[in-house]
Amino acid sequence: MAVALNSGHRVIYLYGITESKPRIPEMIGVDRFAKVEAIDCDGLFCWISRVLAVDFEENLAHNMENLDWLAETSVAHQRVIGAIGGKTEILPCRLGTIFRTEASLCKHILKRLPTLKRDFARIKGADEWGVKVFEVQPVLSALPKVRSGKDYLEAKAALLPKRRKKAGTAEEIEEFERALSGIAAESAPAGNVSRGQRGLTFQRTILIPRAKRKKFESLLEKFAREWAQQRRIECTGPWPPYSFVSRPEDGVQFK
Amino acid sequence: MSASTNAVVFAGDDPADEMTLLDILDHVLNQGVVLRGNLVISLAGVDLLYVGLDVILTSVETALRHINATLPAEK
Repeated sequence: MAVALNSGHRVIYLYGITESKPRIPEMIGVDRFAKVEAIDCDGLFCWISRVLAVDFEENLAHNMENLDWLAETSVAHQRVIGAIGGKTEILPCRLGTIFRTEASLCKHILKRLPTLKRDFARIKGADEWGVKVFEVQPVLSALPKVRSGKDYLEAKAALLPKRRKKAGTAEEIEEFERALSGIAAESAPAGNVSRGQRGLTFQRTILIPRAKRKKFESLLEKFAREWAQQRRIECTGPWPPYSFVSRPEDGVQFK
Repeated sequence: MSASTNAVVFAGDDPADEMTLLDILDHVLNQGVVLRGNLVISLAGVDLLYVGLDVILTSVETALRHINATLPAEK
């Protein structure tokens, strides 16, 4: 007997929570099948889709180790939250937040209501940004033709960035961090996934008020110009404020 | 901030921007609202990512292609 694809017991996958319900174009959820819908939980709107329990409950940990699955799911997760977040403030959920029933979801929303309200106030009018600084290696192939060892060393020295003598790398990075802190509403430890990237010397996740976005861009450009070929700055965003919402107070280890 | 300047590499709110899977995972797994349902989610598998960093330095292009293929046509 043929079994229909995508048939089976379904659970609730939660993307995020909003205080209003904007009109958004129809979206498909993380399973690339079920539509995204909004559930009214006593005045807060929970954006969900109904996913197969076998994929997102029983085999979630296993699937997280499958990079193809993880890539598709995380991109779909971010796309849904990004689309809603483009219309209204959203408290985004971490990838893989599942409830068995609508009733259990609403029950927990109500239980955490004061915290959620505080979080809405915290992220209002601001976006999350990721900032990374990489050390850049000089390109030795750019060395001109040399006739002696002295020529070679002089030519190589000329390729090295002209750094101010008084400030070493640590001091310059600290100065950059202080400047960022002056603009950011908050700063959070950056994600762990990319911390092993080659040349990465500084990484921070920050919450920037939208009114200060231009100032933020100018600051990054100023430092990037100053550091020239010495360091490269990479900036991603605006992200939904994943890193600036509260953890559950009950101390449960989600690991 | 869709266009990168000469000095800073920006990626973000333009669909054409290339964000690596690393960047997406840095954010979608960093924290977010973690609600405790009647099910405790195990994300233990994520630890493997720290070890297999080179492996996940892949573009999200494939993922986007798959997702775009399943999206309904614009009305």
